[in-house]
Amino acid sequence: MPMIDTPSQDIADLIARCALRDRAAFRVLYERTSAKLFGVTLRILKDRSEAEEALQEVFVKVWQRADRYVAGTTSPISWLVAVARNHSLDILRARRPPSDDIDVALEIPDAGPSPERATQDSQERRQIETCLGTLDPERADAVRGAYLDGYSYEELATRYTVPLNTMRTWLRRSLIKLKDCLSA
Amino acid sequence: MSTSDDFGEDFEGRNALVAEYVLGLLSTSEHERIGRLIENDQNLRAERDFWVSRFAALNQEYEETPVPGHIYAAIEARAFGDVVRSRPMASFWDSLLVWRGIAAGALAVAVAAVGFNLLQPAGDVSSLTTQLVAALEEEGSPVKFVALYDGSGNVRLTALSGETVPDKDFELWAIQGGNNPISMGVIPVNERSAVSIAPEVMEGWGEGSVLAITLEEKGGSPDGNPHGPIVAKGAVTKI
Repeated sequence: MPMIDTPSQDIADLIARCALRDRAAFRVLYERTSAKLFGVTLRILKDRSEAEEALQEVFVKVWQRADRYVAGTTSPISWLVAVARNHSLDILRARRPPSDDIDVALEIPDAGPSPERATQDSQERRQIETCLGTLDPERADAVRGAYLDGYSYEELATRYTVPLNTMRTWLRRSLIKLKDCLSA
Repeated sequence: MSTSDDFGEDFEGRNALVAEYVLGLLSTSEHERIGRLIENDQNLRAERDFWVSRFAALNQEYEETPVPGHIYAAIEARAFGDVVRSRPMASFWDSLLVWRGIAAGALAVAVAAVGFNLLQPAGDVSSLTTQLVAALEEEGSPVKFVALYDGSGNVRLTALSGETVPDKDFELWAIQGGNNPISMGVIPVNERSAVSIAPEVMEGWGEGSVLAITLEEKGGSPDGNPHGPIVAKGAVTKI
């Protein structure tokens, strides 16, 4: 597939050229990454025409916000996937009925060691898989489902047939465990 | 329902909020509130970036899925705004009905003389009985072709403008009466070419036939139906 053949640096360059309003670069960027980003919108929205519409909006955003991509902080593919994923989640969120808000103050975490950025994708992949492996399998699946499919707490509670609050507690504890493992 | 009980005194639970934010688990108002807090705090941004980069390792589970051909034109129209065109290019099927109507009505086809001159066929033109010509273009598309039928069973094509598109091919279609489009094959953009008319096209061939060019995947449509956007079209008329 096109993306696998395209080194990360090429994608970063294309994004940079988009920031300079290079339309030809935008077209090439689209040719190389649209299949991946369509995979994202389709998996989360689970409806072809909605996913197509979302993909259009995602690429318009990429064109408009290309200057916000800071090379070196995230891999360019990760940045593009994040734009597609966040946009799809916004669509889902807007559709959900307003739920009870969690009225808590956000603790400001201590400035810990900053996460190393240069880690190879394959290493990060192994690491998250290893750490998810330390969780109860169902909870690891729930974390994956939240990330990859954009499932809400309500949907996860239904899938795993547990009360909503139990689901929340599960997930939060899993995330804390995951953080410890990923930071180790 | 209050959720503060299972959360209130739970110091670690509060710190899971950034991860919940990144996963997209918060309600709209909460998502926006936490998002603003994160934007304004360096430590929270680092926390967010930590989760974003770690979860990104799962991205390879998103499977690449081919995107329908007409999407890109719509994106360009939206991204580049007025400069290209305000409406997305209509899909083949959307506009099929429209130009079946056109084909049935008056055939107002402007043929540029310059286009025709490029197409003087080899051999003795005057001996040919039926000569037909079509100017193929579409508003908002840079692709323009002139097609000439010299009576010999071949349609000669010359591109007046248009560029090749990476990983795509242009495909020529014949539309006659109310029938579905019949593929006449993939055509080159940068050179003149001749396409022989297949018997099923020849059957209905003549003034009123419509030729259309769509942008299809490399090698042409796999199933004999057009999928990509129409980049040029025109009705065939007698010279």
